[in-house]
Amino acid sequence: MECRLIQQDRRGSFVLEGELTIHHALDMKQALLSVLAQSESIEISLAGVTEMDTAGAQLLLMIKRAAEEQGVALRLKDHTSAVRTVVETMQLAGTLGDPMLIPGEAADGDHP
Amino acid sequence: MGKSVLIVDDSASVRQVVGMTLRGAGYTVLEASDGRDALGKLGDSRVNLVISDVNMPGMDGISFLKEMKARPANKFTPVIMLTTESGDSRKQAGKEAGARAWIVKPFQPAQLLEAVSKLVGP
Amino acid sequence: MSLSDALPTFLAEARGLLEAMETALGVLDGNPNDTGAINSLFRAAHTIKGSAGLFGLDHIVDFTHEMESVLDRVRDGALSLNSSRIELMLLCRDHIDRLLEVVEIGSEPDEALLTQGEELTARLRQDLPASAASPSDPIHWAPVTGDDPVRNLGSDPTEGDTLWHLSLRFGRDVLRHGMDPLSFIHYLNTLGEVRQVYTVTDALPPAEEMDPESCYLGFEIRLHSEADKQCIEDVFDFVREESQIRILPPGAHFPQFLALMQAVPEDNHRLGEILVGCGAITERELEHMLDAQARQKSDASPTSAPRLGEALVQEERIQPELVGAALRRQQEVRRRQAQESRLLRVRADKLDSLIDLVGELVIAGAGLQAQVQGQGDTALHESAQEIARLVDGIRDGAMNLRLVEIGETFSRFGRVVRDVSRETGKDIALRIEGAETELDKTVVERLADPLTHLVRNAIDHGIESPEIRQARSKPSQGQLHLGARHEAGSVVIEIMDDGGGLDRERILAKAKERGLLPSDAEPDDAEVWNLIFEPGFSTAQSVSNLSGRGVGMDVVKQAIDALRGGIEIESSPGQGSTFRIRLPLSLAIIDGFRVSVSGNEYVVPLDMVLECMEMPRDLTEGETPHLNLRGDVLPLLPLGAFFGLPKASVTRRNIVVVQWGGRSAGLLVDELQGQLQAVIKPLGPLFKGLPGISGSTILGSGEVALVLDVPGLLERVVSVDSASYLQ
Repeated sequence: MECRLIQQDRRGSFVLEGELTIHHALDMKQALLSVLAQSESIEISLAGVTEMDTAGAQLLLMIKRAAEEQGVALRLKDHTSAVRTVVETMQLAGTLGDPMLIPGEAADGDHP
Repeated sequence: MGKSVLIVDDSASVRQVVGMTLRGAGYTVLEASDGRDALGKLGDSRVNLVISDVNMPGMDGISFLKEMKARPANKFTPVIMLTTESGDSRKQAGKEAGARAWIVKPFQPAQLLEAVSKLVGP
Repeated sequence: MSLSDALPTFLAEARGLLEAMETALGVLDGNPNDTGAINSLFRAAHTIKGSAGLFGLDHIVDFTHEMESVLDRVRDGALSLNSSRIELMLLCRDHIDRLLEVVEIGSEPDEALLTQGEELTARLRQDLPASAASPSDPIHWAPVTGDDPVRNLGSDPTEGDTLWHLSLRFGRDVLRHGMDPLSFIHYLNTLGEVRQVYTVTDALPPAEEMDPESCYLGFEIRLHSEADKQCIEDVFDFVREESQIRILPPGAHFPQFLALMQAVPEDNHRLGEILVGCGAITERELEHMLDAQARQKSDASPTSAPRLGEALVQEERIQPELVGAALRRQQEVRRRQAQESRLLRVRADKLDSLIDLVGELVIAGAGLQAQVQGQGDTALHESAQEIARLVDGIRDGAMNLRLVEIGETFSRFGRVVRDVSRETGKDIALRIEGAETELDKTVVERLADPLTHLVRNAIDHGIESPEIRQARSKPSQGQLHLGARHEAGSVVIEIMDDGGGLDRERILAKAKERGLLPSDAEPDDAEVWNLIFEPGFSTAQSVSNLSGRGVGMDVVKQAIDALRGGIEIESSPGQGSTFRIRLPLSLAIIDGFRVSVSGNEYVVPLDMVLECMEMPRDLTEGETPHLNLRGDVLPLLPLGAFFGLPKASVTRRNIVVVQWGGRSAGLLVDELQGQLQAVIKPLGPLFKGLPGISGSTILGSGEVALVLDVPGLLERVVSVDSASYLQ
């Protein structure tokens, strides 16, 4: 099982798929950091994430913090149940949630 | 599908009992009779947990662990080593090879099950 | 699938390993340094030990452990395999083979086999350093090295409050080793309920410096749990060594949190916020704590600063609890050591020869008494009395040494019940009562097999499957009750189930079919139940692999008879059955009552004697085989006629009323000779089956007296028309 970050369009939409775990942590760190340079406003859909562990959670925390430091608006959306379980267990909804359980479209301005 | 566990032990009855216990708890279990066999069975696929005996004919548990950890698929797979109290020097070797969890033989199936669910969840 | 399904694999594998062992020993006999053979020898012992442990075969584990320890030293070059060690290893191999045979037939090793094991173990231990000879813990999750970094901050749970605080900072490498903190947090939910988690991300470095395979996270957790501290600590066994795990018990006060503040890497204000965030403390408490700490800091000199928390903790007088858990564990170890030093292990055969001597002493004492009685010397008489009193004391003391609690035997059935109920798909709860009841060691040992059979039988044939039970509107879980108690000079052991009960019609039909009963017989329930003890009688429709091991109820009955005991059954359809075993307290020496019939001496165990009386004049022989005892009609057995003795001319005969297991009868004898202590000698095999006789004893005069088998006699008077002896 691989883990990939795929660019959807030129306006900063990405999709993360596969297992966001320690096995791909090194690659994913670089991939995630590289997207910050692409746009002022980034949206990452987690809809393809099948598995996530502590290393994966750390990566999301890292990218959130890095985005904040660089003044990039980063939004995570479409949390799958694998992601939600981790976010709920660690009670990180405030940080990684980005309205996690509220259906995306309603509050979603820049959706393609 | 349940979490996958590979049990490596030269004793067929240990494999049978461990396999039975874990399958009963919903895990998917692979069995191998020594390190060489285990590496062959693993191939490039990943398991959620490896339980390995230390002392085995053919490839022993420590060498197996080193080889497995050197391959990308199971680099971060947790390992429970089955050992005897007489093997302290081997414990150090196992630790260097990346093992952190030890179960001293003889053990009860329930104790194994508890360790497994601590490491990979029920 | 159950453990016993895997047992054949284990047996086959172990036998294969024994063969490998033999081959290796053959090689080593010619070439003692062949490392391949040494390794294969070691591995064989090692593997048998490991697998036997899974099946709970502790005696095999213990034995192979010793062997393995010696072979480990051989492997390390500390010992050489000379011919005497090779011979010893061969003997050990054979011993394991025998132990496997015992496992295969589902039994336990007998005394001879155990003794053999002990002897071999003793020989093996001669090759081991003293420390290695003691058996080690069966299991421990020991980290490789290092102290226990889990700090026990605070006291154990107080009543009513079950909210624990866990402060976890995982080691950098845990993820690399496959240990995911998430799994441990999930696992905590099996011990209770994780109420609050605060993920501490402060240690997460700037993105460029972060190693994504390292773990930077910490957690402050509020756990609601009834578990004890040890249990919660154990969750973190595998990461304890490289992580900081702190567990505050329920009811922790702010001194403990203050100590925690000092221990974690985050600064005080930050942790304070975290603790407030997860509800461990309130805002006000936090302010209070920070104030207290600032005060302390300004008062303290820089060198004493690191011990701040400690000082505070002392100030608040929680110090005893701080070290509480460790201290208690230490005390527990000490207590156990003290208890062990009060116990002494003695070889059973040493005890047996002592008992034999005491038996001789009792006989000699009785001889002395008899001589003194004729002398008329008061001082001598008094001395003899005093000696007799002391002999009594010694006898009781010696018999007491042989008494063991039956609990150990009972508790073995926990496993039997678990295994068998799993095999049969039945849900059965085992209740044990009177585990502390003491019984003669030999009796307990000889009882193990019949009890096992009865327990298996109760599960297999007694208790119904959950479906049938539900259909009969009974709880789907069956109850099996094992109980022991003392009752009037005997020990009563009960095996009670709440199953379907015995099937009267089926037993009757079968007995008639086998010709055990005439086809028109209508016996009462007790007689019907007793039929199942007839040799070869089995009512099971199909012979299962559980109780149908070729051991029938007749073997159970024989074993209990051999212990001079009796067994009776109560059963009611749909409600269950009770098997009640009654056993004499001791086997070797009894208080007896001596009677004579036609010049022959007999001894009746005193605890079965209800009363003695002269034969009523109105009871003439031949007229009726019954005795009217204050309104109760008892069967009367003329012993002389029963044993076929010539009739003696006695003016007045006597009756001894005996009782056992709820039945009574009168024994018609010539003379009553009074009480005595009888050392029971078993009869030779030639006389074993004699009806009415259970043993012999030597009287003080040197004469031999036969000990009456009262339970056997009672059965006869009830089942056989005793009038036939009167002619």
